[in-house]
Amino acid sequence: MPSATDRPAPRGRAVLGILVAWIVLYFGVRFFLEANPDLPSGLRLGLAFIPTPVFAFFLWRFIQGIRSADELERRIQLEALAVAFPLGILLLTTLGLVQRAVELSFEDWSYNHVWPWFTLFYLMGVGLARKRYT
Amino acid sequence: MKNRLKVLRAERDWSQAELAERVGVSRQTINAIETDKYDPSLPLAFALAREFGESIEEIFLP
Repeated sequence: MPSATDRPAPRGRAVLGILVAWIVLYFGVRFFLEANPDLPSGLRLGLAFIPTPVFAFFLWRFIQGIRSADELERRIQLEALAVAFPLGILLLTTLGLVQRAVELSFEDWSYNHVWPWFTLFYLMGVGLARKRYT
Repeated sequence: MKNRLKVLRAERDWSQAELAERVGVSRQTINAIETDKYDPSLPLAFALAREFGESIEEIFLP
């Protein structure tokens, strides 16, 4: 059985590095698209998908990391997602209803601005689970 | 679930990290089991019992 105690520490940093690369790429593309509204729509659409493979790579490495983690760490990750996923659904459904009730500002409540909440929910879930088990 | 992990480990003068290494989990997992914050899976309980040369029932108490 592979040992979790001698698991190479750089793996977590590598996954985090890929995530940071995706964030940089995402904001780079986003600012470029905002600064160049006159580009052909086909090109703009192509640019919008540039960060996607990087995120897919991050996801693959993240899942690999979870699979190689020991059972307590997998439990913590599961509980974190059990907190984050329903909260994400709650946020989107509530926003959907609020949007029907009143007019929300695109600059404040569009998809561009809501996604960081999912990260916050996940980190909150990780924090709660770690507090419980460690 | 109560357990005798800490006592058995102390008898053998093993650190948490050393026991973790022996059964292939993290030190945090051993600590969580010892402090009754986490109940191990059956395969891990078997691995711990094997390391201490005792049965699961002798280590984990209902």
